[in-house]
Amino acid sequence: MPTIELINITKTFDEGKVLAVDDISLKINDGEYVFLLGPSGCGKTTTLRMIAGLETPSKGEVLINGIDVEGIPPEDRDMGFIFQHFEIFEHLTVWENVTFGLEMRGMDDNYIIEKAENALKIVELLEYADEYPSIFGNPGMQKLGIARAIATGAKILIMDEPLGSLDPKVSKVFRHELRNLIKDLGLTAIHVTHNQEEAMAIADKIIVMRAGKILQMGSPYELYENPNSIFVANFLGETNFLQGFVLKLIDNETMKISIRLGGPKITCQNTDNRFELDDNIVIAFRNEDVYLFPEDYNFEESPYDWAQMQFFIAILETSRFIGATKRFYLTLDSGDNFLSVKPGNFEENFAPGEELLVGIHQNDIHVFKSPADLLNEISLT
Amino acid sequence: MVNIRLKKVTKAYRNFKALESISLEIRDKEYFIILGPTGAGKTTLLKIIAGLEKPDSGKIFFDGLDVTKKSPGERNLGFMFENYALFPHMTIYDNIAYSGRVHARDPQETKAIVDQVLMMTLLTGRNEAFPEEMSGGMKQRVALCRALMNLEQTKLLILDEPLKALDAGLRMSLRRELLLMAKSKELGLTVLHVTNEEQEAMMLADRIAIIDNGKLIQVGSPRDIYYHPKTLFVANFMSEINYFEGSCIKGCKPDWEIYKKSNRKDKFFEEIHRDSIPFPIDIGVKNLFAAYGDRQLYARCLNNEKILLVVRANHMNIRLGNRITQKNNALLGIIKRRKFMGVFYRFEISTRINKTEKILIVVIPASAEIHEKFKEGLEVTVYFPKELGIVFQHPGEKKIKEVMKLE
Repeated sequence: MPTIELINITKTFDEGKVLAVDDISLKINDGEYVFLLGPSGCGKTTTLRMIAGLETPSKGEVLINGIDVEGIPPEDRDMGFIFQHFEIFEHLTVWENVTFGLEMRGMDDNYIIEKAENALKIVELLEYADEYPSIFGNPGMQKLGIARAIATGAKILIMDEPLGSLDPKVSKVFRHELRNLIKDLGLTAIHVTHNQEEAMAIADKIIVMRAGKILQMGSPYELYENPNSIFVANFLGETNFLQGFVLKLIDNETMKISIRLGGPKITCQNTDNRFELDDNIVIAFRNEDVYLFPEDYNFEESPYDWAQMQFFIAILETSRFIGATKRFYLTLDSGDNFLSVKPGNFEENFAPGEELLVGIHQNDIHVFKSPADLLNEISLT
Repeated sequence: MVNIRLKKVTKAYRNFKALESISLEIRDKEYFIILGPTGAGKTTLLKIIAGLEKPDSGKIFFDGLDVTKKSPGERNLGFMFENYALFPHMTIYDNIAYSGRVHARDPQETKAIVDQVLMMTLLTGRNEAFPEEMSGGMKQRVALCRALMNLEQTKLLILDEPLKALDAGLRMSLRRELLLMAKSKELGLTVLHVTNEEQEAMMLADRIAIIDNGKLIQVGSPRDIYYHPKTLFVANFMSEINYFEGSCIKGCKPDWEIYKKSNRKDKFFEEIHRDSIPFPIDIGVKNLFAAYGDRQLYARCLNNEKILLVVRANHMNIRLGNRITQKNNALLGIIKRRKFMGVFYRFEISTRINKTEKILIVVIPASAEIHEKFKEGLEVTVYFPKELGIVFQHPGEKKIKEVMKLE
């Protein structure tokens, strides 16, 4: 029953000059598939390496199954490792790759055969046991890596960008296979990536990191529905951001804001009176939460729940059909632009240049304090 | 005017056939995307069009003139390749402004254009940095800026995976900029863009050419390719799919329930099914299924001949409980897994066909209802409208396996 806990972990390099990980604490439950997600340099790989025992924390404790593992080398932590570049021995057969670790540990032959057969069966590679790994594509290589980890009895999988070298299409298919395999085996997995789509598609829990700190952790659903910062809102999924200021405080829960001076006026939540009159704010809303109507739309017979919607006018620049979805590119008089995404079968006959009525549910609008440099918050590389 | 025509272009490297007899036309002011997996021959094709590689045989015409033997300089185009090729000793600004100097443009005018492209690529304020101080994503944007500098003269922009190294958010906003720029009437650009991302292709292209193993498989609008893929490979490349191996049933009477219950009459489907006819298909369950396929294929098909029915994961729908009798093309199943993916939920539904388990993938827009009610372990009915099924001639077990494994 592996659980992993990090308590106030800090890691510095170059005699304390470089702060890679800044006082983070987290807990990974048994059988959980967890992602460390963030842009390059955020500290995610260093965190992973400390869990694996490949780096020693400068401060703080790493607990595995409640036991402080300081001084325990990686090979004694019951972990399997999978990296972007496989680390598979090309000169050994598939079978030899899987049995290598067991032989090094001096296990007896019957035990080795049983474990290796079982592991290769699980990843559906047993029929290739006598082949060399070069016959595989990249997914096959990663499956072999998993087989090797299972055979040695690892209960924890440590993965650093395991899908990073795959073709986009292959990666989109294989990521589901990877998740299913790990969930079926009941392994605890920690997976590092900078690819948010991959994290959303696979993770039970996502830990978003930036500049050595944890910004937010939770299920993909929690993070997607309730991002706690502009950075997280932007990093997970596609989000529109518009700048404005507080025009009027309505009551304890709501306020009226204006998108720039003279732009659309919108009523949104002001939970706990976080904002005050004239505060500069940024509103964030998901592309798919933006509803579009013709200007003369009749709401009387509308199937939409429009009573809680905020409405304003925008101009349609252009639209694109991209299969599962249709994308509508819109602009406001102020020059601000945003996007509405509807299912691919959404019926409309909007023309570019047309003025449309935009509706967004009040609950789908998130409000943040305006940062000094919004561009810096939302441009990641 | 830019019109590019390729006639039977072939290229081999030693014994490896990189391109096999490719003929295609890129029209004036078109955003044309070449799409395919890594190693398909996309970049070779681009280099041949740009004049950086010579074809072994075949011809290339620009506006009707044979340019097969002409150098890149004589073809008058702006290009950006995957390895950015920035000058390491020059700042971002100088790297971008370089072409302005080459073309002896007025410095004031050059500055105005540089400022504009820097703003477009979110690089404003970074113009004094040197390439070694920049991340991969930044270098890529600088390279893109440089390709954008000469658009007034060139009118043809060639982009090789221009957004590859960028993270998701930036890629999205740059796609928008590329789209608006390409559609700007003042610039009147023709763009030729190579990518291995189907989403990028769908988002930007007027027309897409799909190549695989050096062969041109299909050319068409995003809609054509999505609804009328020519092969299983194309169908699968554009989205996750489900497939059923079934047999074509001939001799169904006109009162067959599927013919009777024509539920969707909208123009859109009439148009995409111009040359199609609903096939009665036995997939190994009690009810006959129906999906549109090519009229001529139906005419050629014998009774009980094996065919392949493909349905995109996002064209499948689910309802809780047993609704088999109320829906066409319906199967009963159990939700085996579900995963929230952001805009969508992805379900794996366990169904039984011919007494063996078959997992169907269903992708539907996320909603509060889906989140609260469609839990793992529940019984559901999976179904799809016949207009969204795609019928292929059966390509053989081996081919199916090869395409679906993508290795």
